[in-house]
Amino acid sequence: MTKKKIGLHTFMAFPAFFLFSVFFLYPLCKGIGMSMTDWDGIRTAKFIGIQNFICFFSDKRAMTDIKTTVLFALGSAPLLNIIGLGYALLMNGKFRGKSMARMFIYMPAIISPLIMGYIWYLLLQPGRGFVYHALDRIGRAELFGNWLGNYWTAMLVLILVNVWQYAGMTMVIYLAGLQSIPADLYESAQIDGATGRQSFCYITLPLLGPSIRINVVTNIIGSLSVFDIVMSLTGGGPGYNTETLSIYIMRMCYGSKTGYSTAVAIIMFFIILVPVVIALRLTKEKSE
Amino acid sequence: MKKQKVLALTMGIVLAFGSLSGCGSVNSVPATDQTGGNQQASGPDVETEVGKADSSEKVKLTLFTGKIETIDVMNEIIDDFNASQDRIEVTQEYQKDASNIIKIKFASDEVPDIMTTYEQGFVDEGKYLDLSEYDELWSRLSPSIKEACTDIKTGNQYRICTNMTMAGFFYNKEIFDELGLEMPDNWDDFEVLLETIKTEKPDVTPWFIFGSEAWHLGHLIEFIPHGYLKSTLGTVEAKRAMLDNDKEKLRFGEADGPMAVFGQKMLDLQSKGLVNQDVLTATSDNCVQDFVSGKAAMLSNGMWVISSILEANQQMQDAPYPAYMPDSEPVVLSAEDSGYSISATTEHKEEAIEFLNFLFLAENQQKYSEAAKAPSAFTDVDAKWAPDTIVAEVNSALEKAVNIGFTNEKPAGFSGDDAGRMVQELLAGQYTAEEFAKAYEKSWDDGMVVSE
Repeated sequence: MTKKKIGLHTFMAFPAFFLFSVFFLYPLCKGIGMSMTDWDGIRTAKFIGIQNFICFFSDKRAMTDIKTTVLFALGSAPLLNIIGLGYALLMNGKFRGKSMARMFIYMPAIISPLIMGYIWYLLLQPGRGFVYHALDRIGRAELFGNWLGNYWTAMLVLILVNVWQYAGMTMVIYLAGLQSIPADLYESAQIDGATGRQSFCYITLPLLGPSIRINVVTNIIGSLSVFDIVMSLTGGGPGYNTETLSIYIMRMCYGSKTGYSTAVAIIMFFIILVPVVIALRLTKEKSE
Repeated sequence: MKKQKVLALTMGIVLAFGSLSGCGSVNSVPATDQTGGNQQASGPDVETEVGKADSSEKVKLTLFTGKIETIDVMNEIIDDFNASQDRIEVTQEYQKDASNIIKIKFASDEVPDIMTTYEQGFVDEGKYLDLSEYDELWSRLSPSIKEACTDIKTGNQYRICTNMTMAGFFYNKEIFDELGLEMPDNWDDFEVLLETIKTEKPDVTPWFIFGSEAWHLGHLIEFIPHGYLKSTLGTVEAKRAMLDNDKEKLRFGEADGPMAVFGQKMLDLQSKGLVNQDVLTATSDNCVQDFVSGKAAMLSNGMWVISSILEANQQMQDAPYPAYMPDSEPVVLSAEDSGYSISATTEHKEEAIEFLNFLFLAENQQKYSEAAKAPSAFTDVDAKWAPDTIVAEVNSALEKAVNIGFTNEKPAGFSGDDAGRMVQELLAGQYTAEEFAKAYEKSWDDGMVVSE
């Protein structure tokens, strides 16, 4: 009986395993193979061992891109979680117009990041964008600078636009977590004389463990692999200043360095994997 | 329990077959399905494996293009061709990022039969059909176009260009007339001219550069320092020096070389406020808007901008790039445009040539030139591609300066956009002029390594 069940289960898992093999395992293996070649997308590939990986770490532009990508993730991921949790706590309360407020917070998340980037680009154009004209109207046009033309301000804009767009999505996950916490726990705590802060620290946060884990992991992955919003807002510029690793991979691939770009993609996989594993470990310990 | 098992089994089989169905081959997949963001310009929207009974015997050709401005006229010509016979059906596929998408198509062996994209790397790899024997057609084209279409390494022609294009400075005629200015031949006088505009008309940007678009800054390199090399060495010799990376002739990294001097001139203009302040974030739309509304006095661009300016009824004139090196002359881009290549691996060479023959008919080329707003390279085509005054001005600019062509001989790993991004870095204050020149030389050398 048990043997029969295992046979059927194995068979049932076949389609999933097949899809996983075709769309993940095969490309991964092929990618690893390709990363050890000098393939330019046109000529026959030649095996060059780990040369591409060595080249990556000696490329100044690639190192700057890692810095930019990590900086973006360090700014985005914590802010997304803090603001998303803040929104969720607010939206978990009772007040008029709550549904509308939730909708407005979530709405940017359903718009394509590319479109979002172009919209913000038009808003922030020096001398012609909406923000400039708004400041000019109140006589404070001097506050406006060419924010997308400078590294630090461009990075800040990128992080803020990303947070503005995806905070709603983070909020929804936290909200689901908050609503699954039994109300009687808070009532018991109140009877025992716990303050609001104590309830938050000892009931809300520990019971939000699974939501925190999902949000932290998805935000780290999303932030470290960011592409579209940077592409549409700054194009990775000026020059290569705000270029992220994803954009670097694309440009290398189109720049007749297909083998090399595959090697960078594999490096990027590990760059994302390390913080994700750490975050999973930490949040697992907390929730346990 | 048994029912559940049967249901689960059925679902499993359906899912497995559903997954495999994507692996089936379809004779004709609509272009829109392949990469997104493109346009199925002609032919049926949906075509199944069964297809139409009569079209299943037709030879299907794909024309791949990145030229958005000619989609409609090409559709017209393709429709006429498809209707004129019943053996061949041509479909146009447009991709915005055609020069990159074609690389994916070559890599994945989905090469279109005819394409308007052309790269030296693909020539070297024998990806294009040799069109040198196509004598009847070459005799109809101007000799300069044949020369421009000739591959320096082999001496053969792998593409046929049907039109010519020009790039230079376009300036606001009203502003120039009002201030009594004339476009000078050398850079020092050019700077004086820009300063005059700034002093006399403080609200007007003397020279508008839309630097957020890397290709535009790449074009400045193409037309000014590369233009200098082509004008002093001669087009063929300059192309050969680029292919061989002849450092003595190119002098890219030298402190008094073409790149360093160009870098310094650009930095000077920026520090004196003679170009727009938002040079790093301005777009081509911003540039055209400011130019047609009189907020910008000059811009650098190709003939493709003419239609936008004329639509806004702005009076303009064009002029060559002033000489910026001690021993140089003014230059103007006069290059080949609208090139067509046939894939060396297509199974339908004869049909592809038959379609090109139809496309190259004088009446079709007249229609094409007028839509593209570009003069025809065919000697037997009389197209009214622009108002007579514009045609006269373009001809005058071409006569006044050394005519240069595009550089197709750039290293495969160092594109025009890459060069443009280096100019962005220069204007963002990341380089001095000398550092810029050295960085440019290094990028060129690295690109050559990739090419080799």
